[in-house]
Amino acid sequence: MDFKDYYAVLGVSESATPEEIKKAYRKLARKHHPDVSKEADASDRFKDVGEAYEVLKDPEKRAEYDQLRKYGARADGSFQPPPGWQSASGFGGGGYTEADARQFSDFFEEIFGGGRRGGFGGGGFHQSMRMRGEDVHARLALFLEEALTGCDKQVSFTVREVDDHGRLVTRPKTLKVKIPAGMRDGQHLRLKGQGAPGIGGGAPGDLFLEVELAPHPHFTVEGGDVLVTLPIAPWEAALGATVTVPTVSGKVNVKVPKGSTSGRKLRLKGKGFPGKHPGDQIVILQVAMPEQHSAEANELYEKLAELEKNFNPRSKLHL
Amino acid sequence: MTNKTQILTVEIIDNGGRTFTLKEVCERGNCHAEFVIKLVTYGILVPVEDVPEAREWQFDADALNRLQKALRLQRDLKLNLPGLAVSLDLLDELHEMRREVARLNQRVHQLMGD
Repeated sequence: MDFKDYYAVLGVSESATPEEIKKAYRKLARKHHPDVSKEADASDRFKDVGEAYEVLKDPEKRAEYDQLRKYGARADGSFQPPPGWQSASGFGGGGYTEADARQFSDFFEEIFGGGRRGGFGGGGFHQSMRMRGEDVHARLALFLEEALTGCDKQVSFTVREVDDHGRLVTRPKTLKVKIPAGMRDGQHLRLKGQGAPGIGGGAPGDLFLEVELAPHPHFTVEGGDVLVTLPIAPWEAALGATVTVPTVSGKVNVKVPKGSTSGRKLRLKGKGFPGKHPGDQIVILQVAMPEQHSAEANELYEKLAELEKNFNPRSKLHL
Repeated sequence: MTNKTQILTVEIIDNGGRTFTLKEVCERGNCHAEFVIKLVTYGILVPVEDVPEAREWQFDADALNRLQKALRLQRDLKLNLPGLAVSLDLLDELHEMRREVARLNQRVHQLMGD
């Protein structure tokens, strides 16, 4: 068991006043709250902060912790309480309301234990209690190709459940899920009964997955519409041309109108995201230049420069 | 028991698809109807159709997720209802903006020919 330095967790000194401890806790709780933070370890950090505050906010527990802290951790960071250690303050009788004490660390339990072992204080989970398991809401990242064709996807998430000792534990769960074809960004899927297990014979919760499309190198999906940037040669833009365009459902030929400019949008009706109400594909033209020109081409450009000398490409910049 | 080999089939719940009554929402959130009604009053939860009778309210999956978040934020950060409303709106906006930035970055890469 590792020693937990609650002062370091809250970023306060040993001599911090209760007010400073409360302030540090509030700030860190906001920062690491799993619904606020995007960090992968936010949940653990939030739990640590709650546990540290639980001890340091209570003068009795803090004094006991300070005593143990002096007793110290071993050189390898591990920790064993002194033989015969027993907390005077305990925590079985309540006094913890700020955080979910059922999830605190083994270190916490060893020092202030008693509450978790005894079926969790006064109002814990008794087997006679019947409760529906929690629903789990998670995001499911899909590549565009996976969303279009459907796929078998492995989904990992955590569920909270009560173990045989009445302790609330977090357990990882992995499922293989068949994702149907044509899933759009923001759509919801439900897996009935795959959330957290129920308590005392209660029904299990459901797993809800919200589809989130990963960015694609060529296509940008906006609702049902699909955007693609299509490079064209300057002469194709000037003279018009029929060019091949990729769409999410294969290649199509598109007529580029004569006199097109960069940024011009062409709408291909119904060629966007397939489905009951298929979206459109928006082709955004982009004039591309060859990296090198032949001497003959350069001559032609010179001729063009002469013929088109009244054209000012920087007129919008008032230059 | 987790069965990794079994492939589970999903149910698509979407616009016009499966919704949840006030009673179901309360069961799933393990909270009282009064609390959900207050969340609706503050605009934190929005029923699919705006009907005055709470018993006729229907909520979508987004609302279930939002209720869970609201319950966690209230429990962990001691937010009151106006605080919850502001926080959840800002979190939604933040999420949308992050996604928009990712989309725009992708568009820039496409335009630059990267």
